[in-house]
Amino acid sequence: MFNSLYKNLFNNLLSKVVFAGLLTTTLLASPQLSAKGVYQSGPDFVAEVFAPQQPEAGVLWLNKSIRQEAEKILGRKVLGLRVRYHQSAGKTAWILNEIGKEMPITIGVVIDQGKISSVKILAYRESRGGEVRYPAYMAQYQGATLTDRYKLDKSIDGITGATLSVWAVNKVAALALYYHSQVMSQPESTK
Amino acid sequence: MKSSNSAKINIIWHRRIGLSVFLLLIFLAISGFALNHSPALKLNKISLSNSWLLSWYGLEKPLIRGFKLDEKWLYENGNNLLYVNKQAVAPCSAPLFSVAESTNILFALCADTLHLLTENGQLLESFSQLDGLPVDARAISSVDNTLYLITDASVLEFNSESLDLKPAAIDPASLNPLTAQLPVPESLEQQLENSGPSISLETVILDLHSGRFFGQFGVLVIDIVGLLICILSITGLLAWINRLRQIKQ
Repeated sequence: MFNSLYKNLFNNLLSKVVFAGLLTTTLLASPQLSAKGVYQSGPDFVAEVFAPQQPEAGVLWLNKSIRQEAEKILGRKVLGLRVRYHQSAGKTAWILNEIGKEMPITIGVVIDQGKISSVKILAYRESRGGEVRYPAYMAQYQGATLTDRYKLDKSIDGITGATLSVWAVNKVAALALYYHSQVMSQPESTK
Repeated sequence: MKSSNSAKINIIWHRRIGLSVFLLLIFLAISGFALNHSPALKLNKISLSNSWLLSWYGLEKPLIRGFKLDEKWLYENGNNLLYVNKQAVAPCSAPLFSVAESTNILFALCADTLHLLTENGQLLESFSQLDGLPVDARAISSVDNTLYLITDASVLEFNSESLDLKPAAIDPASLNPLTAQLPVPESLEQQLENSGPSISLETVILDLHSGRFFGQFGVLVIDIVGLLICILSITGLLAWINRLRQIKQ
Protein backbone atom coordinates (compact mmCIF):
# COMPACT_ATOMS: atom_id res chain seq x y z
CA MET A 1 0.00 0.00 0.00
CA PHE A 2 2.69 2.45 1.12
CA ASN A 3 5.02 1.14 -1.55
CA SER A 4 2.59 1.94 -4.35
CA LEU A 5 1.90 5.38 -2.81
CA TYR A 6 5.61 6.20 -2.72
CA LYS A 7 5.99 4.83 -6.26
CA ASN A 8 3.22 7.11 -7.55
CA LEU A 9 4.62 10.11 -5.73
CA PHE A 10 8.10 9.39 -7.09
CA ASN A 11 6.83 8.94 -10.66
CA ASN A 12 4.80 12.14 -10.38
CA LEU A 13 7.79 14.09 -9.06
CA LEU A 14 10.10 12.62 -11.69
CA SER A 15 7.78 13.56 -14.55
CA LYS A 16 7.54 17.14 -13.18
CA VAL A 17 11.31 17.44 -12.86
CA VAL A 18 11.79 16.13 -16.40
CA PHE A 19 9.17 18.56 -17.74
CA ALA A 20 10.74 21.50 -15.88
CA GLY A 21 14.15 20.50 -17.20
CA LEU A 22 12.92 20.29 -20.78
CA LEU A 23 11.13 23.65 -20.46
CA THR A 24 14.24 25.35 -19.04
CA THR A 25 16.43 23.86 -21.76
CA THR A 26 14.01 25.02 -24.45
CA LEU A 27 13.82 28.53 -22.99
CA LEU A 28 17.57 28.78 -22.62
CA ALA A 29 18.23 27.43 -26.08
CA SER A 30 15.57 29.39 -27.99
CA PRO A 31 17.20 32.86 -27.89
CA GLN A 32 20.51 31.32 -28.93
CA LEU A 33 18.96 29.54 -31.85
CA SER A 34 17.17 32.62 -33.05
CA ALA A 35 19.90 35.15 -32.20
CA LYS A 36 21.86 35.00 -35.46
CA GLY A 37 20.42 36.35 -38.67
CA VAL A 38 19.68 39.15 -41.06
CA TYR A 39 16.37 40.74 -40.09
CA GLN A 40 16.08 43.52 -42.62
CA SER A 41 18.12 44.77 -45.56
CA GLY A 42 19.46 48.31 -45.62
CA PRO A 43 17.22 49.52 -48.50
CA ASP A 44 14.12 48.01 -46.82
CA PHE A 45 15.00 49.73 -43.53
CA VAL A 46 15.39 53.11 -45.27
CA ALA A 47 12.15 52.66 -47.22
CA GLU A 48 10.27 51.75 -44.03
CA VAL A 49 11.68 54.70 -42.09
CA PHE A 50 10.78 57.35 -44.65
CA ALA A 51 7.61 55.83 -46.17
CA PRO A 52 5.76 57.16 -48.05
CA GLN A 53 8.42 59.77 -48.86
CA GLN A 54 11.48 59.16 -50.98
CA PRO A 55 14.55 60.21 -48.95
CA GLU A 56 17.67 61.80 -50.39
CA ALA A 57 20.89 59.83 -50.18
CA GLY A 58 23.85 61.71 -48.76
CA VAL A 59 27.50 61.13 -47.98
CA LEU A 60 29.32 62.40 -44.93
CA TRP A 61 33.05 62.67 -45.54
CA LEU A 62 35.04 61.85 -42.44
CA ASN A 63 37.54 64.67 -42.22
CA LYS A 64 40.23 64.67 -39.56
CA SER A 65 38.16 66.25 -36.79
CA ILE A 66 35.03 64.15 -37.45
CA ARG A 67 37.16 61.02 -37.57
CA GLN A 68 38.85 61.88 -34.26
CA GLU A 69 35.54 62.41 -32.48
CA ALA A 70 34.07 59.27 -34.07
CA GLU A 71 37.06 57.27 -32.86
CA LYS A 72 36.58 58.66 -29.36
CA ILE A 73 32.93 57.55 -29.38
CA LEU A 74 33.70 54.06 -30.68
CA GLY A 75 36.97 53.64 -28.82
CA ARG A 76 38.62 52.21 -31.91
CA LYS A 77 39.88 53.17 -35.35
CA VAL A 78 37.12 54.13 -37.79
CA LEU A 79 37.26 52.39 -41.17
CA GLY A 80 36.28 54.19 -44.36
CA LEU A 81 36.63 57.74 -45.57
CA ARG A 82 32.92 58.36 -46.04
CA VAL A 83 29.62 57.31 -44.47
CA ARG A 84 26.37 57.03 -46.36
CA TYR A 85 23.04 58.18 -44.95
CA HIS A 86 19.51 59.04 -46.04
CA GLN A 87 17.61 62.14 -45.08
CA SER A 88 14.35 63.94 -45.41
CA ALA A 89 13.12 67.04 -43.56
CA GLY A 90 15.62 67.03 -40.69
CA LYS A 91 15.40 63.29 -40.27
CA THR A 92 18.42 61.10 -41.05
CA ALA A 93 18.84 57.32 -41.15
CA TRP A 94 22.20 55.63 -40.61
CA ILE A 95 23.27 52.03 -41.06
CA LEU A 96 26.41 51.34 -39.08
CA ASN A 97 28.38 48.29 -38.02
CA GLU A 98 29.98 47.66 -34.67
CA ILE A 99 31.60 44.56 -33.20
CA GLY A 100 29.66 43.05 -30.32
CA LYS A 101 31.93 40.37 -28.96
CA GLU A 102 33.56 39.01 -32.08
CA MET A 103 31.24 39.67 -34.99
CA PRO A 104 29.85 42.93 -36.38
CA ILE A 105 26.27 43.91 -35.56
CA THR A 106 24.55 45.96 -38.26
CA ILE A 107 22.42 48.63 -36.63
CA GLY A 108 19.99 51.09 -38.21
CA VAL A 109 19.56 54.37 -36.34
CA VAL A 110 17.03 57.09 -37.18
CA ILE A 111 17.60 60.61 -35.86
CA ASP A 112 14.82 63.16 -36.01
CA GLN A 113 15.48 66.78 -35.02
CA GLY A 114 18.60 65.79 -33.06
CA LYS A 115 16.91 63.02 -31.07
CA ILE A 116 16.89 59.29 -31.64
CA SER A 117 13.63 58.31 -33.26
CA SER A 118 14.32 54.58 -33.53
CA VAL A 119 17.08 51.99 -33.35
CA LYS A 120 16.86 48.62 -35.06
CA ILE A 121 19.19 45.65 -35.35
CA LEU A 122 19.34 44.76 -39.03
CA ALA A 123 21.80 41.89 -38.77
CA TYR A 124 23.10 40.04 -35.74
CA ARG A 125 25.97 37.63 -36.23
CA GLU A 126 26.96 36.62 -32.69
CA SER A 127 25.65 33.33 -31.33
CA ARG A 128 24.57 34.88 -28.01
CA GLY A 129 23.20 38.19 -26.79
CA GLY A 130 20.62 38.63 -29.56
CA GLU A 131 18.08 39.87 -26.99
CA VAL A 132 19.20 43.43 -27.78
CA ARG A 133 17.12 43.34 -30.95
CA TYR A 134 13.77 43.05 -29.15
CA PRO A 135 11.60 46.14 -29.80
CA ALA A 136 10.89 46.58 -26.06
CA TYR A 137 14.60 46.95 -25.45
CA MET A 138 15.22 49.18 -28.48
CA ALA A 139 12.39 51.50 -27.34
CA GLN A 140 14.70 52.72 -24.55
CA TYR A 141 16.73 54.68 -27.10
CA GLN A 142 13.78 56.79 -28.26
CA GLY A 143 14.29 60.46 -27.49
CA ALA A 144 17.95 60.08 -26.47
CA THR A 145 20.27 62.93 -27.37
CA LEU A 146 24.02 63.41 -27.21
CA THR A 147 25.74 64.97 -24.21
CA ASP A 148 28.76 67.28 -24.54
CA ARG A 149 30.96 64.26 -23.83
CA TYR A 150 29.43 62.35 -26.75
CA LYS A 151 27.46 59.95 -24.57
CA LEU A 152 23.73 59.22 -24.63
CA ASP A 153 21.84 61.42 -22.19
CA LYS A 154 19.58 58.49 -21.22
CA SER A 155 20.55 55.57 -19.09
CA ILE A 156 20.11 52.34 -21.04
CA ASP A 157 19.40 49.16 -19.07
CA GLY A 158 21.88 46.35 -19.56
CA ILE A 159 21.03 42.76 -20.49
CA THR A 160 22.69 39.88 -18.69
CA GLY A 161 24.75 37.90 -21.18
CA ALA A 162 24.53 40.63 -23.83
CA THR A 163 26.66 43.34 -22.21
CA LEU A 164 29.01 43.74 -25.17
CA SER A 165 26.11 43.90 -27.65
CA VAL A 166 24.43 46.59 -25.50
CA TRP A 167 27.67 48.59 -25.42
CA ALA A 168 27.95 48.24 -29.21
CA VAL A 169 24.39 49.55 -29.72
CA ASN A 170 25.03 52.43 -27.29
CA LYS A 171 28.18 53.42 -29.17
CA VAL A 172 26.49 53.26 -32.57
CA ALA A 173 23.50 55.27 -31.30
CA ALA A 174 25.87 57.97 -29.99
CA LEU A 175 27.87 57.90 -33.24
CA ALA A 176 24.73 58.31 -35.37
CA LEU A 177 23.71 61.31 -33.22
CA TYR A 178 27.16 62.80 -33.72
CA TYR A 179 27.14 62.18 -37.49
CA HIS A 180 23.63 63.69 -37.66
CA SER A 181 24.84 66.83 -35.89
CA GLN A 182 27.68 67.10 -38.41
CA VAL A 183 25.32 66.71 -41.36
CA MET A 184 22.94 69.32 -39.95
CA SER A 185 25.77 71.78 -39.31
CA GLN A 186 27.06 71.51 -42.89
CA PRO A 187 25.98 74.13 -45.43
CA GLU A 188 23.11 72.92 -47.62
CA SER A 189 25.27 72.97 -50.76
CA THR A 190 27.77 70.45 -49.40
CA LYS A 191 25.23 67.83 -48.29
CA MET B 1 66.93 -3.86 12.09
CA LYS B 2 64.20 -4.69 9.57
CA SER B 3 62.57 -1.33 10.19
CA SER B 4 65.90 0.48 9.65
CA ASN B 5 66.35 -1.33 6.30
CA SER B 6 62.89 -0.41 5.08
CA ALA B 7 63.51 3.20 6.13
CA LYS B 8 66.71 3.23 4.08
CA ILE B 9 64.92 1.75 1.05
CA ASN B 10 62.18 4.33 1.49
CA ILE B 11 64.70 7.17 1.54
CA ILE B 12 66.56 5.78 -1.49
CA TRP B 13 63.37 5.57 -3.53
CA HIS B 14 62.22 8.98 -2.32
CA ARG B 15 65.49 10.46 -3.61
CA ARG B 16 65.36 8.56 -6.90
CA ILE B 17 61.78 9.56 -7.61
CA GLY B 18 62.46 13.13 -6.52
CA LEU B 19 65.46 13.38 -8.83
CA SER B 20 63.60 11.88 -11.77
CA VAL B 21 60.59 14.17 -11.60
CA PHE B 22 61.90 17.42 -10.15
CA LEU B 23 62.38 19.18 -13.53
CA LEU B 24 58.95 18.12 -14.77
CA LEU B 25 57.43 19.04 -11.42
CA ILE B 26 58.82 22.57 -11.66
CA PHE B 27 57.56 22.83 -15.24
CA LEU B 28 54.09 21.59 -14.24
CA ALA B 29 53.97 24.09 -11.38
CA ILE B 30 54.96 27.04 -13.60
CA SER B 31 52.69 26.04 -16.50
CA GLY B 32 49.80 25.40 -14.09
CA PHE B 33 50.32 28.84 -12.57
CA ALA B 34 50.38 30.41 -16.05
CA LEU B 35 47.17 28.61 -17.06
CA ASN B 36 45.42 29.64 -13.84
CA HIS B 37 46.22 33.27 -14.61
CA SER B 38 45.80 32.99 -18.37
CA PRO B 39 43.18 35.79 -18.72
CA ALA B 40 45.35 38.21 -16.73
CA LEU B 41 48.49 37.23 -18.65
CA LYS B 42 46.47 37.38 -21.92
CA LEU B 43 47.97 34.09 -23.07
CA ASN B 44 45.00 33.45 -25.36
CA LYS B 45 45.75 36.70 -27.21
CA ILE B 46 49.30 35.71 -28.05
CA SER B 47 49.24 33.94 -31.41
CA LEU B 48 52.08 31.72 -32.51
CA SER B 49 52.48 31.06 -36.22
CA ASN B 50 55.93 29.51 -36.31
CA SER B 51 56.01 27.13 -39.26
CA TRP B 52 57.54 24.30 -37.19
CA LEU B 53 54.80 24.65 -34.56
CA LEU B 54 52.07 24.79 -37.21
CA SER B 55 53.37 21.64 -38.90
CA TRP B 56 53.56 19.93 -35.47
CA TYR B 57 49.86 20.68 -35.07
CA GLY B 58 49.15 19.49 -38.60
CA LEU B 59 48.38 22.98 -39.90
CA GLU B 60 49.80 24.39 -43.08
CA LYS B 61 50.57 28.01 -43.76
CA PRO B 62 48.53 28.63 -46.90
CA LEU B 63 50.09 30.15 -49.93
CA ILE B 64 48.74 33.68 -50.09
CA ARG B 65 47.40 34.59 -53.50
CA GLY B 66 46.06 37.86 -54.76
CA PHE B 67 45.82 40.34 -57.60
CA LYS B 68 48.34 42.80 -58.93
CA LEU B 69 46.80 46.08 -59.98
CA ASP B 70 49.02 49.02 -60.96
CA GLU B 71 52.01 47.89 -58.92
CA LYS B 72 49.74 47.23 -55.94
CA TRP B 73 49.01 43.83 -54.54
CA LEU B 74 45.48 43.24 -53.28
CA TYR B 75 44.91 40.02 -51.39
CA GLU B 76 43.05 38.33 -48.55
CA ASN B 77 45.55 37.30 -45.90
CA GLY B 78 43.98 33.98 -44.86
CA ASN B 79 42.40 35.58 -41.80
CA ASN B 80 39.58 37.42 -43.59
CA LEU B 81 41.41 40.72 -43.92
CA LEU B 82 41.89 42.60 -47.18
CA TYR B 83 45.42 43.87 -47.68
CA VAL B 84 46.80 46.42 -50.09
CA ASN B 85 50.52 45.71 -50.18
CA LYS B 86 51.51 45.53 -46.49
CA GLN B 87 48.51 47.40 -45.15
CA ALA B 88 45.34 45.77 -43.80
CA VAL B 89 42.48 47.91 -45.08
CA ALA B 90 39.16 46.15 -44.42
CA PRO B 91 37.51 42.93 -43.29
CA CYS B 92 37.12 40.60 -46.27
CA SER B 93 35.35 37.25 -46.13
CA ALA B 94 37.31 34.82 -48.25
CA PRO B 95 37.57 34.38 -51.14
CA LEU B 96 38.62 37.64 -52.73
CA PHE B 97 36.88 37.05 -56.06
CA SER B 98 38.08 39.89 -58.18
CA VAL B 99 39.57 43.40 -58.29
CA ALA B 100 39.23 46.29 -60.73
CA GLU B 101 40.08 49.96 -61.12
CA SER B 102 37.78 52.65 -62.42
CA THR B 103 37.73 56.45 -62.12
CA ASN B 104 40.64 56.48 -59.64
CA ILE B 105 38.88 54.02 -57.38
CA LEU B 106 40.08 50.50 -56.68
CA PHE B 107 37.37 47.88 -56.22
CA ALA B 108 37.83 44.59 -54.38
CA LEU B 109 35.04 42.03 -54.45
CA CYS B 110 35.12 39.74 -51.39
CA ALA B 111 32.65 36.92 -50.76
CA ASP B 112 30.00 39.19 -49.25
CA THR B 113 31.23 42.76 -49.73
CA LEU B 114 32.46 45.06 -52.46
CA HIS B 115 35.09 47.42 -51.06
CA LEU B 116 35.82 50.78 -52.64
CA LEU B 117 39.36 52.04 -52.07
CA THR B 118 41.30 55.13 -52.99
CA GLU B 119 44.30 54.87 -55.28
CA ASN B 120 46.48 54.85 -52.17
CA GLY B 121 44.63 51.83 -50.84
CA GLN B 122 42.56 53.63 -48.19
CA LEU B 123 39.05 52.30 -47.66
CA LEU B 124 36.42 54.68 -49.00
CA GLU B 125 33.39 52.61 -48.08
CA SER B 126 31.96 49.13 -48.34
CA PHE B 127 28.90 47.86 -50.17
CA SER B 128 27.67 44.65 -48.57
CA GLN B 129 24.95 42.12 -49.30
CA LEU B 130 22.86 43.92 -46.67
CA ASP B 131 23.14 47.08 -48.78
CA GLY B 132 22.05 45.30 -51.95
CA LEU B 133 25.11 43.49 -53.29
CA PRO B 134 23.81 40.36 -55.07
CA VAL B 135 24.62 37.14 -53.23
CA ASP B 136 25.85 35.55 -56.45
CA ALA B 137 28.29 38.35 -57.40
CA ARG B 138 31.38 36.60 -58.73
CA ALA B 139 33.53 39.17 -60.54
CA ILE B 140 33.99 42.83 -61.39
CA SER B 141 35.30 44.45 -64.51
CA SER B 142 35.91 48.01 -65.59
CA VAL B 143 35.21 49.19 -69.13
CA ASP B 144 35.44 52.89 -70.10
CA ASN B 145 35.48 53.97 -66.45
CA THR B 146 32.28 52.08 -65.71
CA LEU B 147 32.31 49.23 -63.24
CA TYR B 148 30.39 46.09 -64.08
CA LEU B 149 29.38 43.48 -61.56
CA ILE B 150 29.14 39.98 -62.93
CA THR B 151 26.75 37.63 -61.14
CA ASP B 152 25.86 34.03 -61.93
CA ALA B 153 22.78 35.21 -63.79
CA SER B 154 23.47 38.67 -65.16
CA VAL B 155 25.76 41.68 -65.56
CA LEU B 156 25.00 44.84 -63.58
CA GLU B 157 26.34 48.36 -63.85
CA PHE B 158 27.59 49.77 -60.55
CA ASN B 159 27.55 53.46 -59.73
CA SER B 160 30.35 54.13 -57.28
CA GLU B 161 28.87 57.50 -56.23
CA SER B 162 25.32 56.43 -55.43
CA LEU B 163 26.12 52.72 -54.94
CA ASP B 164 23.22 51.90 -57.26
CA LEU B 165 23.06 48.81 -59.41
CA LYS B 166 21.19 48.56 -62.69
CA PRO B 167 21.11 46.02 -65.51
CA ALA B 168 24.00 46.66 -67.86
CA ALA B 169 23.63 47.17 -71.58
CA ILE B 170 26.92 45.53 -72.47
CA ASP B 171 27.93 42.32 -74.11
CA PRO B 172 29.29 40.08 -71.32
CA ALA B 173 31.90 38.77 -73.77
CA SER B 174 33.50 42.22 -73.92
CA LEU B 175 34.23 42.12 -70.18
CA ASN B 176 37.57 40.86 -69.06
CA PRO B 177 37.40 40.48 -65.28
CA LEU B 178 40.52 39.86 -63.25
CA THR B 179 39.75 36.63 -61.41
CA ALA B 180 42.91 34.54 -61.66
CA GLN B 181 44.90 35.00 -58.49
CA LEU B 182 48.70 34.95 -58.46
CA PRO B 183 50.98 34.03 -55.56
CA VAL B 184 51.89 37.12 -53.54
CA PRO B 185 55.64 37.91 -53.72
CA GLU B 186 57.64 36.24 -50.97
CA SER B 187 59.06 39.57 -49.76
CA LEU B 188 55.51 40.78 -49.09
CA GLU B 189 54.36 37.54 -47.52
CA GLN B 190 57.25 37.47 -45.08
CA GLN B 191 56.40 40.90 -43.75
CA LEU B 192 52.82 39.97 -43.03
CA GLU B 193 51.74 39.59 -39.46
CA ASN B 194 48.82 37.49 -38.29
CA SER B 195 48.38 35.86 -41.65
CA GLY B 196 47.17 32.31 -42.00
CA PRO B 197 46.52 29.90 -39.17
CA SER B 198 47.96 30.44 -35.72
CA ILE B 199 47.85 28.77 -32.32
CA SER B 200 47.43 30.64 -29.07
CA LEU B 201 50.16 30.42 -26.46
CA GLU B 202 47.49 29.28 -23.99
CA THR B 203 46.74 26.21 -26.15
CA VAL B 204 50.43 25.33 -26.43
CA ILE B 205 50.99 25.65 -22.65
CA LEU B 206 47.84 23.65 -21.92
CA ASP B 207 48.94 20.90 -24.32
CA LEU B 208 52.43 20.86 -22.79
CA HIS B 209 50.95 20.81 -19.27
CA SER B 210 48.72 17.85 -20.08
CA GLY B 211 51.31 16.09 -22.23
CA ARG B 212 49.01 16.17 -25.28
CA PHE B 213 51.64 18.17 -27.14
CA PHE B 214 53.59 14.91 -27.56
CA GLY B 215 50.54 12.79 -28.33
CA GLN B 216 49.52 9.71 -26.38
CA PHE B 217 53.12 9.16 -25.26
CA GLY B 218 53.19 12.61 -23.63
CA VAL B 219 49.90 11.96 -21.83
CA LEU B 220 51.30 8.65 -20.54
CA VAL B 221 54.46 10.39 -19.27
CA ILE B 222 52.41 13.03 -17.43
CA ASP B 223 50.22 10.23 -15.97
CA ILE B 224 53.35 8.46 -14.71
CA VAL B 225 54.72 11.72 -13.31
CA GLY B 226 51.42 12.21 -11.48
CA LEU B 227 51.69 8.71 -10.06
CA LEU B 228 55.31 9.29 -9.05
CA ILE B 229 54.33 12.53 -7.30
CA CYS B 230 51.79 10.53 -5.26
CA ILE B 231 54.48 7.97 -4.37
CA LEU B 232 56.90 10.82 -3.61
CA SER B 233 54.50 12.35 -1.13
CA ILE B 234 53.92 8.93 0.52
CA THR B 235 57.65 8.13 0.76
CA GLY B 236 58.24 11.65 2.06
CA LEU B 237 55.61 11.11 4.75
CA LEU B 238 57.10 7.71 5.67
CA ALA B 239 60.58 9.24 5.88
CA TRP B 240 59.26 11.90 8.22
CA ILE B 241 57.55 9.25 10.43
CA ASN B 242 60.73 7.14 10.51
CA ARG B 243 62.74 10.15 11.52
CA LEU B 244 60.28 10.92 14.33
CA ARG B 245 60.64 7.29 15.55
CA GLN B 246 64.43 7.53 15.51
CA ILE B 247 64.33 10.74 17.53
CA LYS B 248 62.01 9.11 20.09
CA GLN B 249 64.28 6.06 20.38
